[in-house]
Amino acid sequence: MPTAEPILVADEASKAYADLVALAPLSLSLTAGQTIALVGHNGSGKSTFLRLAAGLLDLSSGSITVAGVAAGASDARAAVSFLPDEPVLYDDLSVREHLAYVGALHGVEASAEEIDELIARVELSHRADDLPARFSRGLRQKTSIALGLIRPFELLLVDEPFVGLDATGKEALLGILDELHEDGATVVVATHDPGFVERADRCIALRDGEVTHDGPATTAEVLKLVGA
Amino acid sequence: MLTADPDADLEGALGDWRQFRRRKRVSDIHWIDAFYQAYLTGILGLVAIAVASSAVGDELATAAQIRTTLADGPGWIGGAAAFALALGLRSGSRGGPLALERAEVRHVLLAPVDRTTALRAPAVRQLRFLAFVGLLVGGIAGDMASKRLPGGTLGWVATGALVGLTLVGLAAGAALVAGGIRLPRWAASLIGLVLIATAAADGIDLMSTSPTAAFGDLALWPLQFRLSGLIPVVLAAGLVVAGLGLLGRASLEAADRRSTLVGQLRFAATLQDLRTVIVLRRQLAMELPRIRPWVRIGVRGTGRWPVFVRGLRGLLRWPAARVARLVLLGAVAGLALRGAWSGTSPLVVLAGVAMFLAGLDAVEPLAQEVDHPSRRDASPLVAAQIHLLHIPAGVLAILVSAVCAGVAAAVPGPGSLPVDLAAQLVVALAMGGLGGALISVLASPVSISEGWSLAPPEAQGMRLAFRTAWPPGVAVMGAAPVLLARNAAEAGQVAATGAQPGLIAVTGVFVLICGWVRVRDDIALWWKAQMELAKPNGDRTADADR
Repeated sequence: MPTAEPILVADEASKAYADLVALAPLSLSLTAGQTIALVGHNGSGKSTFLRLAAGLLDLSSGSITVAGVAAGASDARAAVSFLPDEPVLYDDLSVREHLAYVGALHGVEASAEEIDELIARVELSHRADDLPARFSRGLRQKTSIALGLIRPFELLLVDEPFVGLDATGKEALLGILDELHEDGATVVVATHDPGFVERADRCIALRDGEVTHDGPATTAEVLKLVGA
Repeated sequence: MLTADPDADLEGALGDWRQFRRRKRVSDIHWIDAFYQAYLTGILGLVAIAVASSAVGDELATAAQIRTTLADGPGWIGGAAAFALALGLRSGSRGGPLALERAEVRHVLLAPVDRTTALRAPAVRQLRFLAFVGLLVGGIAGDMASKRLPGGTLGWVATGALVGLTLVGLAAGAALVAGGIRLPRWAASLIGLVLIATAAADGIDLMSTSPTAAFGDLALWPLQFRLSGLIPVVLAAGLVVAGLGLLGRASLEAADRRSTLVGQLRFAATLQDLRTVIVLRRQLAMELPRIRPWVRIGVRGTGRWPVFVRGLRGLLRWPAARVARLVLLGAVAGLALRGAWSGTSPLVVLAGVAMFLAGLDAVEPLAQEVDHPSRRDASPLVAAQIHLLHIPAGVLAILVSAVCAGVAAAVPGPGSLPVDLAAQLVVALAMGGLGGALISVLASPVSISEGWSLAPPEAQGMRLAFRTAWPPGVAVMGAAPVLLARNAAEAGQVAATGAQPGLIAVTGVFVLICGWVRVRDDIALWWKAQMELAKPNGDRTADADR
């Protein structure tokens, strides 16, 4: 059962680019250990919220704390693993080198077996020594997922993870997310996929930066919430 | 889930991995490529030095010229420091001067690694390179100065190198500090503008001195040693040290945006794709169209001139920064005209280039059509007709700059132009700037296909040079009537009358450019058909037989 302690607290957090409001003031609290689906129509502020929580964007107003410290601070960076919707990878490192490098940046001395095991979980064993920058969208997405999992975290923020994945890749990812949930990690996934939302403990729907739904949701409710 | 070692040396690991990646990169560089690049750089450097040397000349300055240099020089030379500081502040307020790899931002700066330590190595590497360029260019400039001014070659070369180094330190240091303290863009622009304005005021004797005049004192050390010349050196060093200390406070958002755009920007610049450079630069500066237009145009009654109204709607959504840029470019052009009117003829080039840059903004509605050809081609109007119908909106926009130039040129004071001459030049500048920009946006990139594939390399080179120089050349042509006016005035005639042949010539060129906009596609089709006909193969005969 999830503990009552919040892992992420947003207090009137907002983001604007000049006169364009990307996220209206938003307040919410995420309990540790939950799997949360973040849904909403295009432009509702899902990706902006995840990027703010990861510390990748500067807040225009309000605050976001992760594990008790401000988002983007060193301790928050250690606690948050962020998987962007568009994989960002080095041109000159293989999948294996990527994992070793990112692991080292987080103080993880992963053995070759541990790295191989993770590569196998994302179904990339046959391409482990290739350069992922030259991969297809789906394979790059798998590399990005592996990078998010090579380091320890308390909160996993995932932005549109199913885009570009084939059916087996999607199943593998859903299995990994379930395992992480069982291990006690908090997982927040921004998605339009009703299949995932039904597996989540909590579904938060955003519309123009406001929470329009907070709680479990059925497929029909999700389709309504995302404006499909 | 894997666990982290709480005592792990993250910064040490980062250093080791960077070293590993550097070794990999170096091993991938082929020595012939490296040699060829060094060869090209050397050749281009020598050509630049030769051109600059011939422009400076080697006649010794007279005693009167040296007195004038000592009196007015610090103010004008200080303008370079003001410009460097303004450039640095603007760059820093947008997340510069560092342009990191995008993956480095996402993986290193989002890891719990100390950001100051993580950013120090790339910052020092960039500073080292800039310092080298500053020393080299400054030293060469010093050597050229020694040919005309007393003081000994060694003294001038050493001073020039120090000046170059200081200039780089001021720009890069200001950028690092502005990025570290997250100076808002408006504040950076304001400070930069004040620095440049005071330096210009000092230069034209509206002020007795300016904050950056001490930099001029440094540059003139071989003529006269002034202790105040040490101020910019100390300031530059201080800014760089402070900036390096503030690295960890820089905005990750700005670094991420910059990492995405700078690579594309460099690539576009390499291909001389000016339009892409402009679009990416706007993205880098977060120059977004306004959600609410300055003035809202109703939908009713606008159907008669859809292309013009579309252009007008675009202009009315311009951000304040772009409007301010047009005004500023106009003011620069006007001040340059004053200088040219007072006797410094090369300043017409500055006036022309300023209007060319303004023109590139003014043709934005047309450029949008060129950027989205599928949408344009879906219209019942032919593309060339749409392009032509966009010109009136461009005229409205360029007039903002041209009128500002006219006002800046005619305001009473040193070097002011007669009002009737300034009014004529408003028209000429507008047509020159817009004409140059139209060519730049519409002319396709140089390719060696079709009729040019058989041309010798020398002809290809000349074609490339002409294609690059022609658009700004047209804009400079728009400023040139001021020289005719000056000659007329020196001959005792009415200046405005003297400028009229130039104005007529510029009008003729502009009309021709508008005509070219309308018929260029037809000409291209005709040319292509002629080339097909001239091909010595049997396909055409076979087609005819069928």
